[in-house]
Amino acid sequence: MRDFLLGLAFVIGGGVVIAVAQTYPTMPTLQFGPSLFPSLIGGGMVIGGLVLALTRVGQLRIAFAGPRAQTPRYDYRGLLISLLPCALIVFYILASEWLGAPLCMAVSMLILMLLRGARPWLSLIVSLVVATAIYLLFSRYLLIPLPEGTLLSQILP
Amino acid sequence: MDSFLQGLAMVFNVQTMLVIVAAAVFGLFVGAIPGLTATMAVALLVPITFYMDATPAIAAIVATSAMAIFAGDIPGTYLNIPGTPASAAYVGESYRLAQKGRARETLGTNLVCSVIGGLFGTLVLVFVSPSLAEMALNFSSFEYFWLALLGLSSSIFIAIGSRVKAFLSLTVGLLLSTVGLDMMSGAPRFTFGVPDLMAGINFIPVMIGMFALNEIMMFYGSRAEARSVPVMAKDSVFAGAPKHVKTYWRNVLRGSSLGTLIGALPGAGADIAAWIAYALGKSRSKEKEKYGTGHIEGIVDASSANNSGISGAWVPALVFGIPGDTITAIVIGVLYMKGMNPGPTIFMNGGGQVYALFTVFFVANLIMLPIGYLAIRASKVFILTPRKLLMPVILSFCIVGAFAINNSITDIWIMLIIGMVAFVLARNDFPMAPAILGLVLGGTLENSFMSSMLKSNGDLLAFFERPISAALGALVILIWLLPSLIRLVRRLRSSPPSSHKPRSS
Repeated sequence: MRDFLLGLAFVIGGGVVIAVAQTYPTMPTLQFGPSLFPSLIGGGMVIGGLVLALTRVGQLRIAFAGPRAQTPRYDYRGLLISLLPCALIVFYILASEWLGAPLCMAVSMLILMLLRGARPWLSLIVSLVVATAIYLLFSRYLLIPLPEGTLLSQILP
Repeated sequence: MDSFLQGLAMVFNVQTMLVIVAAAVFGLFVGAIPGLTATMAVALLVPITFYMDATPAIAAIVATSAMAIFAGDIPGTYLNIPGTPASAAYVGESYRLAQKGRARETLGTNLVCSVIGGLFGTLVLVFVSPSLAEMALNFSSFEYFWLALLGLSSSIFIAIGSRVKAFLSLTVGLLLSTVGLDMMSGAPRFTFGVPDLMAGINFIPVMIGMFALNEIMMFYGSRAEARSVPVMAKDSVFAGAPKHVKTYWRNVLRGSSLGTLIGALPGAGADIAAWIAYALGKSRSKEKEKYGTGHIEGIVDASSANNSGISGAWVPALVFGIPGDTITAIVIGVLYMKGMNPGPTIFMNGGGQVYALFTVFFVANLIMLPIGYLAIRASKVFILTPRKLLMPVILSFCIVGAFAINNSITDIWIMLIIGMVAFVLARNDFPMAPAILGLVLGGTLENSFMSSMLKSNGDLLAFFERPISAALGALVILIWLLPSLIRLVRRLRSSPPSSHKPRSS
């Protein structure tokens, strides 16, 4: 079922790529230009997606014809939890300019550690120490301008 | 002889030897962190080399790059997250071996093969560099087109599982490679008005997203502390390595020579060398079915190739001043800064300096053995640290690693989006390797195709007019047709001729 849907997603994605590629200018000296490769790739996505979807049609029929009780329940809770690291990355992107990179990293690490049942005091110590170490290592030693944040800019070394 | 002794004296002194050890430790640290590459390690070293003499400066670069390439295998083996792109080709094999309790044995074999590959590349650098560089210089856009297509085709045919899924994964990587300004017309493609996307998508955030973020998401989605690597008391660093090297000596030799050759081609670095060596190793193996299940043979080829590629890249850099990879692009700048102008004259005017450079390569590769051994012993931290503590730390490194490439938040967004796409694809058994290779080689494929078409006024037959180009083209077509030909031969063999069938009564 999921392969069928992914196949369809590739077909639609490939179609969009081809449509967008057609808007690129062509070169006067050649009969093709910047649209050629994206169009070929889009074509490949459409064909590959179609093959994938069509080869799964048989399985789809069986799945629909069979008793519904046999279909395993999808783990939506697991899927939601797996998206938490992504949400924390978005939190870092949006909040690091204000809170600063070390604090954002510490908060993210603390939440993830607590989520998996690590001891609170251990999680707090590890996340604070690691966040400070990463910040000092990257910003002071490797000279990468990690955001200090306006909140703690006067406190950090 | 005087120059040779002078060169030895330049290396075997306390200052240079200390620099080599310190640089190797630095390379180890950078290489073992996912997202930080050997190129980045070398780039970070450049300001420090300003204050050094020529020999220690070059020694620091050689030791750092060689060690970083090996160190990339450590998180790959323990966490299924390659430390550098050069380890991505065989990360699946390493991780599965580690899951069988053979992490140290795997890393020990990696280390020994890396050292052999590095020494092989150095020998080539010393003895055959001029002629090899000349051949690489003869490659035009036609040959590069076929070479890129060869790499992409291999990625589909070496993939485990469905080839349709491997092909679709490849299209994702190729599509990412088209983002940015078009080389020929300057037209922006898929940039959505974001200035940071004009220069294209850097493949480090993509790699972090595909391998590291994807792995972290899998971990949180699975709810279990499982998938950790077991520790076996009898798992020793060097116990298995001699046996594996003896059994697969042909693979070591093939990987080393292939890596040196690919490394010597301008633009193709250690990562491409590892991919192609892995593909070739699999296609020539007698135990193809074991690939993807944790097979040491898959590691031998590629880990020899990536380190020999590092040495090989110095061949065109030294002889013609053309960088073989991104590391040697930086090195050329350092060489000029130190008054060692790269080019054919370096061998005439260089005197003891050239011999010192060659000696540095031998020492830097040999010193990998003790330092690598200690690193493998210490890397137990990856096992002992519970994943519930380790994974959040890796997420922080991923964010900082992606940001560090261009000091840009856009790269963190790219890592995030790619990580989510990779998560969906990986959960549905799409291989990730073709996507990475598509991104790495996509630009070369398109640019070489467009340049060739401009040169030949749109004549496609020009791709078969040059001898090397024609041979590479024939090889690509053969790879495409091979599965159908094998199927046809098998069918012909399995169905006996009807005339010989006995008649049943």
